[in-house]
Amino acid sequence: MHAGIIFFLVILGSVLFHIFTPWYWTDVASNWGGMDDTITLTFWVGGGVFIAVCLFMIYCVFKFSYKENRKAEYKPEDKKLEKILTVATTLGVAALLAPGLIIWNQYVSVPKNALHIDVMAWQWGWQYRLPGNDGKLGTTSVRNIDDNNPFGINLDDPYGSDDILVMSDKINLKNNRPVKILLRSVDVLHNWYVPQFRAKMDAVPGTVTYYWFEPNKVGEYEVLCAEYCGVGHYAMRGMVEVQEENKYEEWVNEQETFASYVAKQKNIELQEKKLAKK
Amino acid sequence: MSDPNIQGYELKPGFRGMAKDTGSDQTMFKGVHWGKAMMWIFLLSDTFVFSCFLISYMKGRGSTPEEWPNPSEVFALDAFGVPVPLLLIAIMTFVLITSSGTMAIAVKYGYEKNRKMCGWLVLATAIGGLTFVGMQAFEWSKLIHEGVRPWENPFGAPQFGSFFFMITGFHGTHVSIGVIFLFIYAYKVFAGHYDTGKRGWFTSMKGDYVEIEILGLYWHFVDLVWVFIFAFFYLW
Amino acid sequence: MSEEFNDNKTIQAQSSEVMTGGAAGATPDMDYVRPAEIPEQDLYHAHSFITKWVFCQDAKVIGVQYFLLATFTGIVGLILSWLMRLQLGFPGLAGFMTAEHYYQFVTMHGMIMVVYFLTALFLGGFGNYLIPLMVGARDMVFPYVNMISFWMFFIAVAVLMASFFVPGGPTGAGWTLYPPQTILEGTPGSGMGILLMLISLSLFVIGFTMGGLNYMITVLQARTRGMTLMRMPLTVWGIFTATVLAMLAFPALLVSAIMMTLDKVLGTSFFMPTILKAGEVLEYGGGSPILFQHLFWFFGHPEVYIVALPAFGIVSDLISVHARKNIFGYRMMVWAIVGIGALSFFVWAHHMYVSGMNPWFGFFFATTTLIIAVPTAMKVYNWILTLWRGNIRINTVMLWCLGFIVTFVNGGITGIFLGNVSVDVPLSDTYFVIAHFHMVMGIAPLMVIMGAVYHWFPLVAGRMLDETLGKWHFWITFLGAYSIYFPMHYLGFIGVPRRYFEMYDSPYMTSAVGMNEFISLAAFIVGAAQFILIFNIIKTLKTGKAAGQNPWKANSLEWYTSTVPPEHGNFGDRLPVVHRWPYDFSVPGAKDDFIPQTTPPSEVVHTEVEKT
Repeated sequence: MHAGIIFFLVILGSVLFHIFTPWYWTDVASNWGGMDDTITLTFWVGGGVFIAVCLFMIYCVFKFSYKENRKAEYKPEDKKLEKILTVATTLGVAALLAPGLIIWNQYVSVPKNALHIDVMAWQWGWQYRLPGNDGKLGTTSVRNIDDNNPFGINLDDPYGSDDILVMSDKINLKNNRPVKILLRSVDVLHNWYVPQFRAKMDAVPGTVTYYWFEPNKVGEYEVLCAEYCGVGHYAMRGMVEVQEENKYEEWVNEQETFASYVAKQKNIELQEKKLAKK
Repeated sequence: MSDPNIQGYELKPGFRGMAKDTGSDQTMFKGVHWGKAMMWIFLLSDTFVFSCFLISYMKGRGSTPEEWPNPSEVFALDAFGVPVPLLLIAIMTFVLITSSGTMAIAVKYGYEKNRKMCGWLVLATAIGGLTFVGMQAFEWSKLIHEGVRPWENPFGAPQFGSFFFMITGFHGTHVSIGVIFLFIYAYKVFAGHYDTGKRGWFTSMKGDYVEIEILGLYWHFVDLVWVFIFAFFYLW
Repeated sequence: MSEEFNDNKTIQAQSSEVMTGGAAGATPDMDYVRPAEIPEQDLYHAHSFITKWVFCQDAKVIGVQYFLLATFTGIVGLILSWLMRLQLGFPGLAGFMTAEHYYQFVTMHGMIMVVYFLTALFLGGFGNYLIPLMVGARDMVFPYVNMISFWMFFIAVAVLMASFFVPGGPTGAGWTLYPPQTILEGTPGSGMGILLMLISLSLFVIGFTMGGLNYMITVLQARTRGMTLMRMPLTVWGIFTATVLAMLAFPALLVSAIMMTLDKVLGTSFFMPTILKAGEVLEYGGGSPILFQHLFWFFGHPEVYIVALPAFGIVSDLISVHARKNIFGYRMMVWAIVGIGALSFFVWAHHMYVSGMNPWFGFFFATTTLIIAVPTAMKVYNWILTLWRGNIRINTVMLWCLGFIVTFVNGGITGIFLGNVSVDVPLSDTYFVIAHFHMVMGIAPLMVIMGAVYHWFPLVAGRMLDETLGKWHFWITFLGAYSIYFPMHYLGFIGVPRRYFEMYDSPYMTSAVGMNEFISLAAFIVGAAQFILIFNIIKTLKTGKAAGQNPWKANSLEWYTSTVPPEHGNFGDRLPVVHRWPYDFSVPGAKDDFIPQTTPPSEVVHTEVEKT
């Protein structure tokens, strides 16, 4: 008897916790509101099943607890009931699966007008590269990375020289413009994750992975690493600022291209050599 | 082995027989020795081990950016001054398959309780296996001499060396273990342990010629795996 | 030596056992069970202390050995979880806690609990003890190999524990051991620690294979007369299917462990791409980190069911016995276990939706994953339908079962979130995942283990565990564990990533500080409550009430041994003969509310029992 009451209070407590919780998701700031909707749908269907099963169980505990002179029902199986339950469950599961797959289909089909951004991860930090006027990113290799070429751009790739280098852990994005995040890592697995955008994908060394989203809320957001990457994992943060178009263009124009970076580095080297000679 | 005679149970062939065996009490595989059933299931598990190795090999070969070496050049052997592709490996495969044949005949003589013939054939199988391992050692030393290492390879992708040494090494370990057991069993056959039902000193199980068949299953499996390794490494 | 064997024992119990008499309407051949086809097992009877209790070949003793060693590793895992929770709830309180230590504790906690605690406990512990008793065998079919199996496990645990004491400490790469970071310098324990971990896992796989062959062949080839597959208790079905999964899934773990060892020791590049570390390009190049993830999860997902299926089986039996009612839809339950087991080999990449594998795999694996929900849901329905119109004893065992249903359904439903590919994207690698898998494969199986301990302790030790202590143990554990993991889902909703040593400054994480403190306090209490069981066991062994034969009035064969606790050989002179399934409870017209499996049909002709 007491058992049934306590179990009931547990279920009631869970429902109340959900209603009054101060901990809930941040406001979505990208086009992936559909993921939230699917979570909500799954939450209500699943939560309903959870509550129904538990209440049924609690009812049984109250109603059928042991009495010396009573005998339980003897009924090995009930084909019809089992069939109904199987079919109903299958339909329910299919109903939950369908929206999930539809959204996944959007997730893996990147829009043509998406802005490509190369996100380079290492232990423990981020830096970013945008295509220059030609609209294309130059190819890269880990082996090319050095002081004069922090992104490892292949020097014989004509698309590379006008690439815009953002050598900071903060990147700016244009509001309402889809971006395709191209992830690469020079050492271990990382994951460029902004909770407000909902989307994420691992950066895998040796290959380039991608995902896309369309930011739709101006503001600053924190980037987290969401794949364990060593002792500095928890401190591997970055920033994203979503801006309106004119501000964004301003920001882009302030950034340095690969060619100008190389020239500057060479200049510095020359200066150093001169100093050394003197 | 002829069908077992089980009191009160009629064996039926085909799918219906199988369904009936499954639904029956006591045993699912009628008349099958416990040890034999154990070996079959162990081999099923081992199949998964080798499958994982070979699938990893395919994936590794597919994803490495460097070029894979040409097997008919790497594995060629000079015979009278002419490089013959896959010569050694053809002989190795032939020896191993032949040893499977002698093993099969040994099992037959074992069930006929022909101690002498069974013993000699098990011994012949062991020697065949030993020859295989010896030739494999030769092949390894030849490749190592040419500069191939698990971590590097002068002919192309370093993964070639890694996968080759790992998979043939793992298979070679299987063969070597089999050879050791073949020698032990040959001794046991000659000493008549399987005729008298003498208990083994290690597990204290009673000796029986069925042990020869169980070892035979293992041996055939090792040969079969070799055929796959041969196909994947030397012919692809 | 030959005195230690029953060399001249021939097949006993021929078909002469046909009963006559009994109630009216009984015919002599209705009790016919065909004669034994397997000769009496050749058993080694130990005499010395060492062969009886240390290097023992009796499956029951091996089962207890497995149970105790697994419990020991479980307590180590529990202490590690305390240390983790100490850091998460009260950062900086433990001065020695560096990020290195924290990640080492996380890694070892995960690996210990999944492999060395739950797997060893269910298959090695319950499997060894219960399979021969429940199918009516004298022992496992290869007692010697069985003994080696335990000692391999012992060495594996010793090697694992040794890694705490080597320079650099145990590995801190996360229990999934994802390369390249696992073996790169800078990761805690990337020297000796990871090597010992890989060696220990390989030893565990080898040892487990020996045990697994035993469990499988005993179920397939050594059942007693009348024991058909469809008369086996669901416990045996669960453990058997889990063993099949293990035999086919552990090879992938073995292979990945071998390949990673070679990457570490010989410098091969199976999993290692070109890597730039501290400004220098390492020797590695051309390997695939994703390949490891595929191999690992091809093992890892069936592993989840290796833990879950025995729990499903055991809880079905416990519910049926203590609700005094047959398990509802036995055949459905069997097929669900087998179906879940088979499907579990086709879902592994749902752990890898955001791993960077080809995204088109997502469609396939989301579909297969959600298909698994159907048989699993059927099992849940059948458990609660077994309670319906039962005659439920609300004792400690039943409380654990009810606790299992609540936590399992909760965790199963969050599984639908994570299996459904695009829903997984925002939630993966957050605390939602932690909450999900602890609820479904941590707490739920633990509930079953505890229920099983209270249920079978009278058989193993011959004394009844104290009910009052048992109820305290249950309520603290259940309420505590639920209040740890239920709120934790909401941390995941916020987006707090897992494996963070400190949460500090992020705005949405600071709101989690209070919850983390609460969760940590609950974790300390729940962990401490487990010592109630240890106290209960010690107390019972000294002063407990004698159990006598079959204290729960159950039907299955383990309660019908010649002595309690059963001695070597289990059933005395004659093996039992089985005439029915183990779930004939409350049959209308029967004298008692249970009919043992050994009762011949001629004794119950006046009842409405169904033929099984």
